[in-house]
Order: sequence, then C-alpha cells, then structure tokens
Amino acid sequence: MLNRILRLSVERRFLMLFLILVLVGVGVWSFQRLPIDAVPDITNVQVQINTEAPGYSPLEAEQRITFPVETALYGLPKLSYTRSLSRYGLSQVTVVFEEGTDIYFARNLINERLGAIKSTLPPGLEPEMGPIATGLGEIFMYTVEARPGATGPDGHPLDATALREIQDWIIKPQLAQVPGVIEINTIGGYDKQYHVTPSPQKLLQFGISLDELIHGLRANNGNRGAGYIERNGQQLLLRSPGQLATIGEIEQAVIANRAGAPVTVGDLAEVAIGRELRTGAATRDGAETVLGTAMMLVGENSRAVAQAIADRLEAIKPSLPDGIKVEAVYDRTALVDKAIATVEKNLLEGALLVILVLFLLLGNLRAALITAAVIPLSMLATITGMVQTSVSANLMSLGALDFGLIVDGAVIIVENCIRRLSQAQHAGPLALKERLQLVYEATNEVIRPSLFGVAIITVVYLPIFSLTGVEGKMFHPMAATVVMALLAAMALSLTVVPAAVAVFLRGKISEKESPVISGAKSLYRPALLVAMKLRWLVLGGATALVAVCLWLATTLGSEFIPQLDEGDIALHALRIPGTGLEQAIDMQSQLEERLKAFPEVDKVFAKIGTPEVATDPMPPSVADNFVILKPRDQWPNPDKTKDELVAEMAEAVEMLPGNKYEFTQPIEMRFNELISGVRADLGIKVFGDDLGQLLASANDVLDVVESIEGAADARVEQVTGLPMLSVHPKRMALSRYGLTVDDLQDLVAAGVGGENAGLIYEGDRRFQLVVRLPEDIRRDVDSLADLPVALPDGGYVPLSEVAELELAPAPNQISRENGKRRVVVTANVRDRDLGGFVEEAQARIADDVDLPAGYWLNYGGTFEQLQSASQRLAIVVPVTLAIILALLVMALGTFKDALIIFTGVPLALTGGVLSLWLRDMPLSISAGVGFIALSGVAVLNGLVMIAFIRDLWHEQGDLMKAIVDGALIRLRPVLMTALVASLGFVPMALNTGTGAEVQRPLATVVIGGIISSTLLTLFVLPVLYWLLHRARASA
Amino acid sequence: MQLMQQLSLVLVATCLASSPLHAAEEQPDEAQVEAKGPHGGILLQQDDVAVELQIFEQGVPPEYRAWVTRDGRPLTDGIDLGVDLSRLGGQVDSFEFAYQGDYWLGAGVVTEPHSFDVEVTLAIDDKRYRWRWESHEGRTSISPEIARRAGIATAEAGPNTIERSLTTYGKLTTDPQQIARVRARFPGVATQVNVNLGDRVERGDVLAQVESNESLQTYALRAPIDGVVIERHISRGEMAGKEPLFKLADLTTLWAEFKIFPGQRAEVAAGQKVRLRAEGIDREGTIHHLLPAPGNAPYTLARAELDNADGLLTPGLLVAGDLVVETVEAPLAVDNRALQSFRDWTVVFIQVGDIYEIRPLELGRSDGEMTEVLSGLNPGDRYVVENSYLIKADIEKSGASHDH
Repeated sequence: MLNRILRLSVERRFLMLFLILVLVGVGVWSFQRLPIDAVPDITNVQVQINTEAPGYSPLEAEQRITFPVETALYGLPKLSYTRSLSRYGLSQVTVVFEEGTDIYFARNLINERLGAIKSTLPPGLEPEMGPIATGLGEIFMYTVEARPGATGPDGHPLDATALREIQDWIIKPQLAQVPGVIEINTIGGYDKQYHVTPSPQKLLQFGISLDELIHGLRANNGNRGAGYIERNGQQLLLRSPGQLATIGEIEQAVIANRAGAPVTVGDLAEVAIGRELRTGAATRDGAETVLGTAMMLVGENSRAVAQAIADRLEAIKPSLPDGIKVEAVYDRTALVDKAIATVEKNLLEGALLVILVLFLLLGNLRAALITAAVIPLSMLATITGMVQTSVSANLMSLGALDFGLIVDGAVIIVENCIRRLSQAQHAGPLALKERLQLVYEATNEVIRPSLFGVAIITVVYLPIFSLTGVEGKMFHPMAATVVMALLAAMALSLTVVPAAVAVFLRGKISEKESPVISGAKSLYRPALLVAMKLRWLVLGGATALVAVCLWLATTLGSEFIPQLDEGDIALHALRIPGTGLEQAIDMQSQLEERLKAFPEVDKVFAKIGTPEVATDPMPPSVADNFVILKPRDQWPNPDKTKDELVAEMAEAVEMLPGNKYEFTQPIEMRFNELISGVRADLGIKVFGDDLGQLLASANDVLDVVESIEGAADARVEQVTGLPMLSVHPKRMALSRYGLTVDDLQDLVAAGVGGENAGLIYEGDRRFQLVVRLPEDIRRDVDSLADLPVALPDGGYVPLSEVAELELAPAPNQISRENGKRRVVVTANVRDRDLGGFVEEAQARIADDVDLPAGYWLNYGGTFEQLQSASQRLAIVVPVTLAIILALLVMALGTFKDALIIFTGVPLALTGGVLSLWLRDMPLSISAGVGFIALSGVAVLNGLVMIAFIRDLWHEQGDLMKAIVDGALIRLRPVLMTALVASLGFVPMALNTGTGAEVQRPLATVVIGGIISSTLLTLFVLPVLYWLLHRARASA
Repeated sequence: MQLMQQLSLVLVATCLASSPLHAAEEQPDEAQVEAKGPHGGILLQQDDVAVELQIFEQGVPPEYRAWVTRDGRPLTDGIDLGVDLSRLGGQVDSFEFAYQGDYWLGAGVVTEPHSFDVEVTLAIDDKRYRWRWESHEGRTSISPEIARRAGIATAEAGPNTIERSLTTYGKLTTDPQQIARVRARFPGVATQVNVNLGDRVERGDVLAQVESNESLQTYALRAPIDGVVIERHISRGEMAGKEPLFKLADLTTLWAEFKIFPGQRAEVAAGQKVRLRAEGIDREGTIHHLLPAPGNAPYTLARAELDNADGLLTPGLLVAGDLVVETVEAPLAVDNRALQSFRDWTVVFIQVGDIYEIRPLELGRSDGEMTEVLSGLNPGDRYVVENSYLIKADIEKSGASHDH
C-alpha cells in the first residue's frame, strides 16, 4: 500500500504538485470561515431562563416562578442538571445539558415546556431564555456619557435618564442589527418613566383611592380605530385618538366627578418624569454612566463581530444629540489581535529558523525549500480540519504547533534523498527513470520509520483527549490541532514531498557536506567510540540522571490550568448583603477613583447589580469592575509584571472601607459566572426544604469539617442578611373596616413599589406611566405606619391599624439545584491529601451530623474532578504506552529493539524537567503537552537510528562497525530534526506577549528535552544496542 | 516494566498536577490562646498550671466561668484569679472570681460587645501567672484621611430633646357657637336688606329690616355674632317666614377634627401640640379635647382650635396633623442616621482615633431624627453619624461573598 502510494507520487508527480493548488484553495477558503478568538470556550451547554418579577421577594419568586419552571423541566432529554436562583425581583433557572447537545435543540425543548406552564405562573410574568451566547459572548462594551455642560432639548443638563433614553432608543436598536450580535444588554441610568405621585391627603380630600386613580388613568389613555365609512365612493378611515402624550395632558385627565366638578390628575398628584426602581447601575471612572454590552451569538467570529460593532458605533455617532459621548471601553478585537500577533510571530519566526537550519545542514536551497513548503501546506490543511471539526483558532489551539516537529518526517525523507542522489551522481548525471527510481527507493527506505514516528507522536496525544470538563475544553483543541497538523504533514511527506523531490532535485546535486555537519562528525566519531568503551558509565550516568530528574519533578510546583493573560484586570467588589444600590455606587466611586490613580490604568468601569437582561444576576451589593490597562509602553515602568500591578492594586483598595475583592480577568470572570460550580476543593451541599433547618444543618456540617485536620477556609454559603420590612395584615381589623388583604397589599405595592398605569408613546419610544407615592413618603420607613388606607366608604384608616410592620433579616437569595433548595459548605484542604480528607469528612459527618428526614447531603468540588481525572489517566496513560510499544514492535519486528527505543522517552523527559527547573516554572498541562511532544521526537529519532543500524548490520555483518557507521550517517538527520524542532520553539520560549504563559512552558520543555534526547540518541542508544545485541553478534 | 512505571509517573504527575495549594499560615502567638479546653473555653497553660476561661451566656447574661487545675487536679480554693478587660476608649472591667461548687465564677456581667484586650492574672501561693491576648469583635480601623474622603462624620453623644409625633388626618370644621342662623322673629316682608354674601359684619349690625305681618311694625334683624355672611335667603320685598334668612359664620378660628384610631388612642391627650399641614399652609394648635366619633365609628376625634384670622383655611378642608404625643429631654440620644443593625442588635459605631467599634444599644423613644439611648453608650463618646453603613460594611465584609 505504502509502496503503491509512493510510486504513484513519484510517477504522477505533476498531478501531486497540482493537488497542492487544490489544497491551497481549500485552505484559504476555510481560513475565512475559521472562528478566531483569544481563548478556547469552556462554557458548558446551558440555557438561562430568566423571569423578571418586579417587587417579588426571594421567597415569592421561588414559590411562584422558580418552582413551576424547574418542575416543568424534569425529564428533558439530554438534561444534565438544573440550578436556580431566586432573588429580589428575579428568578433564574439555569439548565445545563450534556456536552455536545445542540443549543438550538435544547432551547426548543425548553420553549415547548415553558409554553405549557405559562398559565400556572402569576399573570404578567414571562419567563425568557437568555441570549444564545457563551462565556466568550461579551465582546464589546461601551459607555454613553454627557460631555460636561451638555444640555438636553429642554435646557436641563443631560441626566442618567436622558442618557439611558439615548442608549435604548438610538444606539441599541442599531447595534442589535449588526450580524453576529445576539443581544445588547444595558445597565446603568434610569429607564424613563412618567410618574404620577398622588398626595395621600388630596386623595382623602376627594375620597379617591389609589386604585381609582390607576383605573382613571388607564381609561383615559387609548387610541381606538373604528373601521371605515364609504362616502361618495371614497373610503374614510375612522379613529379616535385619546392617548396621553405630555405631562400637561396627563394632568388634565379626569379621574372623577365630585359635586359636578371634575377632579383631574393634576388635582390629586404631581406628574413628572421619574426614575424606575432599578436593579443595577454602572459607573465609570468614579461617576455614574450608562453601559452597553454587546453579546455575540455562539460560534461567531468574535474579532469580526467586535470589529463590525465598533464600525457601526462610529457610524451612529454623528446621529447622536449634541454633547453625547459614546466610547468603547472594552473591545475583544484588541485581545484577539494581540493573541494572533503572538501566534503569528511565533510561527513565522519558527518557520524562518527552520528553513535556515535546513539550508545550513542540507547545503541545498531547493531541498530546504521543499521541506519548508510542508509548513504552510500542513498549516492550510490543519485550518481546513479545524473548520470541519469546529475547533476555533486561539492561543491554546495554535499555541502548541511547532513546525519543527511537523516537518520532521519530511526532513528525514529529503535528507535521505539528497544523500542517495548525490552518492549516485558520482557516476555522472542520472537518467530520468533512474532518478525517479532512486527517489522512490530513498523515500521508501525511511518512510516506514518516519510514518511510525508520526503515528507514535499522534498516539501520545491520546491522554489529552481523555480529559473532561473544563480541562478537556481547554486542551482538546490543542491536541486536535497538533494531531491534525501531524497527520497532514504525514500525508504530505508521503505524496507531495517525494513528488517535489523528483521534480525539482535534478541536475547536479551538490554533495558538499556543510561545514557544520563535517565538524560535528569529526567530534562525534571519537566521542561515540569513547562512549562505546565506557558503556557502563554511560548507562549508569543516564540512569542517575533519570532518577535525579524524577525527584526534581516532584519538587516543582504545579498548576492545573494555565492562566491566560487577557491583558486587562477584572475584580469583583463585594459588599455585605443588603447594601443598597445608591450606597454601593458611592462606595464604587471611591474604589474607581483609587484605581484610576494608578498610572498604568486607562479606564475603570463597573457593573453593579443586575443588568436589563439578567445574564449575570448579581445583587446590588456586588460589582463587576473592569480595569483596562494602558499599553505597556505608556507605563512608568514598562517592565512591571501584571502580578506586581495586581498586588499593588489589591493593597491600595484594601484600605477602602466596606469592600472585599476578588481579582480575576474579564473573560475568566464571565466563565466563572456561567460555569459556577463549587470552586473549593470540597463542597458539601445540604439539600432540603426549610431554610432555617438547612442553615442549621449546614452549620453542623461546618463545625465537623472545621475540626478535621487540614481544613482551611471552611465556610457556609451566605443565604440570609437581606433586611426585609414585612407588612403583616391584621385580618380582624381589616374586616372591621370592610377591607380585604388584597386591598391592603395593592396599596402597599402600588404606593411604595409603583403600579403601571399604561404607556406613553413618543414616536417609537414608549415609556411607562407609573403611579406611586411621592419619594419623601415612600422612602420614610418610620412613618409608613401612618400611611392612610382608603376605606370603601370614603374614610381612611392608618396602615398600622390594619397591619403589623416587622423589620427582620430574610433570605437574600434562595439557591436550588435539581429542584431542591440547597446550602453549600465549602472547604479547602491544606497540607493533606485530598482523598483522605474527603473520606474522613464523609465518615465524621455521617456519625456526628444528624439530618432530619427529607434532608440529604451531596459531596462535590474539585476533588471530584481530580479523582476522576486521575482514575482516567491511570488507565489511559499505560494504554497509550502499550500502544506506542506495540507500534514500535510493529515497525521493528522485535520486542528488544522496541524497548531500546522506548528507553529514549524517560531520558528525553529529563531535559524537559531540568529546563523547567532552571527557568523556575511549575509543572502544568502545557508543560505536559511539551513532554508528550518530546516523547514523540525521542521515539522518532531512535526509530530512524536503530532501523538504519540494523539494516547496515544485516548488510555488513559487523555489529560494531554497523553501529558506528550507522550512527555517523544518521548524525545529520538526527541533528536536523533536533535543531528544527528546538529552534522552531525558541521564539515561543522567549516570548512575553499575550498568550505566552501557555506556550512558554511547552517550548521550554521541548527545547530542554530535545537536547537530552539528542544526546541519548547519539550515545546511549548505540551503547544499549551493542550491549543487547553483542551476544548474538559474537555467536 | 520499570520504564513504564517511571514514564507513567512523570506523565501522571504532569497531566494531573495536583491541586494548587499553598502552605497554611500559622500564627504561633495565638496558638496557645486558641486551644480549646474540655468545657469549650480558652485554655491557658503555663508550667503545670492550666486555666480554662469561658464566657457562659446560655440562659443567663454573659458571665465568666473558669476552671483552674494544677498537675491536672482541680483547684477549688487558695487561689487569686482575676480578669481585666480593657475596652476601646480606656474603660477597664475587672472581674474577681469566687468558687461556685463546679467552677470559678466571675463577679459581674460581661457586657457586649465582647471586644477587649484580656489580661488574666492568677496567684497560687506565692507564684504569679499572667496571660494577655486581644479578643476583638465588631471592630475595624480606618485611617482619618480615608474616613474623610469616604464622608464618615462623627458626633459627640449627648442629651437631646426628642419629640415623638404621630400623623393623622382630619377635617376642618367650625364650632357651633361660631355659626349663627338669623330668622325673622315675626313673619313679615323684608323692607330692606343691608348685607350681601361675603360681607363681614359685627355683632349688632343691622342685617335687614322686616315689617311684621301682625303689628305692621318694622323691626331690625341684627347680627348675633361677629362673622361673615355665608348664606342669604331673602331679598327686598320677599316674605320672611320661619326659615333662616341669613347664615353668619365666624371663621377667624376653626376647629380641626383629627381621627384618632384605637391603636393611637392611648398616646393622645388634650393639651398636646399639633402641627397642621394643609396645602402648603402650616399652623400650630393644641388639642383641646377628645370626643367620641359620631355614629359609633371606631375612632375618636381629637379637636384643636386654629387661628384663621387671615381666612386662608376653610371648613371642610382635609388636613394632616402631626400630633406631638411626647416630648422627652433624653439625657443621652443619638442621631437616627447612626443606627445600624448588627447581628441581633441595633448598634452605633464609636470612634477612638482610627478605630471604630460597635456599641450595642438599648434604645428608648425616638422621633424622626433622634433616638433616646437607655444603655450601651456613654455621654461624650464620639459616634459615627454620617455614612455609618460604611463601618458596618467594613466590619462585616469578611462574610461578603459572590455566590452564583
């Protein structure tokens, strides 16, 4: 089979070269479809169902909305689990599906179920699904501000309400139409409302209740169409316009008639533009602002979409009223561009280095170019593969590509062809047929080992595919890309490379050995001979080195997932539950002013509380801060690391009273919000019904966990702390005055919360007409007891007469999982093995904590992932090693030789460990990928070397001579593959740009490992081969 | 096989990369104090002597209990145990201990907050032992510069007048003696009418002349009171019968009738001041008397007389009244803005230098601005008035979390 393909490639060489054009065409076409982002998407398949319930307390939201919605979702196909959150005014159910579920399919299923339960929800409440976006979705943010001194059309300064109106009705509708944008989410400012604020005294005066006022307004605010009339052949349409349009008209609306005199709204109430009861606010550089966030549709190209939004925003600017400043504050394009620049730079420099090395060592420019041509071609093929398997291009997926590794197979083939061609040309130029035959033979000689080598490298990546969850999502693309590139290179070296060699390497092939190689050979021969003499010393040294490095590896620190530096800083500012929005804004201003004082900081902005679309339902006590940094060259000290800057900031803001902080990065923050698992080592979830009992049980569990050795940061999730003023109706008193509970609740709800009495239209814009009590009355908690409640007969009674007011802390949120309330106890484990800790915790809790019937526990946390990952890897890694061994046995036909080559792996790893140690880097999955690549290179070199020595031995019969000659002949390809592979990684190892943190460990490991692996191939392998085969040789 | 193991070791170590944990931070200084004794108290040890100190607060006001052992044997007499608590602001609470059968009991209540520097002294025979440690709660420290920028302002606690009021609504009416309906004493023809609607008349002014049907004598109808003519039902030449011809009202004073509901009744009494608000007109008056409401309505009417010399108020107008039900000269009062909830307490935060600490208060009466302090605060203490929430937030912030 292989022979046939090779023969075909050589004979139909022009056809093969033509295929290159096809490959280039497909590759370029695919490249335009390649989704490009900075980091891989680690969000699970989830759908958020948000229901806004104005005025609902957490308890009511849970009882009336969350529970029916959750129940409706039971038994959905491919459902993984549900979790929910009930907060003031909001119910959010997050439905997580199994990996790989089509998001549109999932949303369809949910839509169907939601349709069925609509009638069971309180009237007027509509569950809505969140935008079809992932954690990478927030790609663009902008603020809408007024320039100092800017005034609106009415001459008043532009306030937060006016800015919000501009955002809602001018900017948002245009941006929402940009292709790839699924949602424009607004936070900050006030939704403009027309407020009718009746004075209780005047209502009493005229004997009009709040309810009558609301009904009166509704009855005075409509347009009606009345069909048409035909007159003299002409059709006349009829309509009766009665909509209220201005404040003056609202004031004139007649509510009742008292003794023949009309009572108008103006007689009872003030009418003005008012502010909504908002759930969130935005600030920038210490002042309130309006912040828009563009969410990208899942699977779109974030760079292209962000760019399109920025362009559209520019186009909108001229149409804005004077004095309005719209500015992009976060643009994903910048990060993606930086990431791509990093990758581009690495790949380009690597490729150039590879070509240089090839030219120097082969001494033949054409041969070097043929080999180097494999680089762009396999890249194009990889891109095609990525598009087909929907792997996006990002720092992770492109980060591990090393063209040195990729061209290894081609290097070996081209090298051998050149050697054979130049040898054959001693007798003068070859005829075409002879040349073709020679190319075929030369290729065939090395194709098997190099194919096996590539196959082995590919197999080595298998353990990566066994990772699941977040780690899997991070590293699958990386492994997939490398494997695709390797496979593409393999296919190319089987077809295009021999064809190109056959076509282009004609005429005189210079045999002049480059001085580098001849110099190396003159050093290598005596060194090899010495090594063969001191074989036991060499073996002992190698074994000792492996042992030392194994020990060294255990002393290196470790990190599971690398932190991708996004270039910007995000921080959560956390305040105590129950903190009001205005208070939070005050505290936020101080925080932002402090952060802005850093000379490295360009912009600071924050979202406080929940935005219009509750994609991230935070209470007003939590703020997401974004700190956008200036380009490094504008820093006072451009060499300051980001960690140092973050540490300085943490110290500075720690001084501000009342805030607690968590530093993170914008995309990372969003991922955490969406994945939202237990982030501690151990999470113990207590499930049950009664919140008080849940909290008591959780505290019992906490006591036990705290007393276990090794427990750190143990705490119970905060569930209470929202101060609540309850108005308990006195039923007897109500009935005495002829009132119902409903009347009372309507009054409190409408009076304090406000009641919607219709819409006011201004062109397309529509604003709510709200009736509620004047601010000074509804804000005054102390005199709420004196609020007059209108009686059916026209009199009044104070609220305290018919209701009891009670101020008490209440749950600030109710969390549920899989349809049951839960409270989580979390703990980290220090200085102790996690598994043992968890076992002891489970045993102790089972003994000491007495849970009532209907309450149960569930253990989770990162320990679960670690356990499952180690269990999987414990199977996958040995299996992988066995497969490699089997491949080697297949290639060589003997188990002994396969084992000899296999020894190359630990020796290659020693160099990697040493270089990590020298550069003071921790073990990480990135470094692990480096080790994987390294094992492949080691095996590949060993394979080629041993195969050649063996052939020589069989030809000549003298083992010692075969080993020395073979090793010398293979010196050039071994050095070449080693040099291209390591030099290809040098730019990555030295890089400090965006994304370097992923690539640096990988490159460091490979470069260090290649050095040790080359030494191994050149000295230890021949020694081992001699030791294991001399018996047979002498026999 | 050894190679396989080595390789798998390295690969597992690499790929698995155990959890990123850091070494725990130990605080050796407090380790000795944090040790728990068999009764759940703090265990203090030196040489062969051990003292376990506990604040016991189950079912009793917080009190100190102690167990003293030497060589593991309990000591029940012959020792001198004392605890000194130095609180913020310099106050020192000292406790002497006496043996109570099971434990040594400290004399006195350990008042909240339990935030102090503790010094325990123990004398056994001639040997003296001493332990000191800090035990702070509800305390934080903010530098003056940051406090100033954050708008934290303090005031000195001192006496204040507290005016407690309640809001009611009522209507303005006139008193019976302020209304006069004038009839013709003898039926007859009005020969002359002197006054018109709205005319102001004085007592004795002639309103009209009527010629009696019987005597044919003309007699004068005179105004019985000072007032304004608010009704007139007669014109010249008309027959005056039994019906009233004029209605005079004296509107220079009006009465406000406020509805007092049963829940408010106990607090309202005659003589209390009332501030009246009506359409931008503010008046003061005094509750003159209380009357049961007509028709067995479930409320009482509190009536107050109001001056209306300028005639701005009219009968029938609905007015709101703030009844001052109590005026207290509180020896110690705090600004309502300073009050915050903390655990189960209502607290203020006192300031000493850079340090702020909770003071749980027992509160008395309150108006909209000031609240009387019964205990928990000393006169002259500086307490945070403005932005007191920031102090609460700072003390409680360690518990703030971001749970999704």
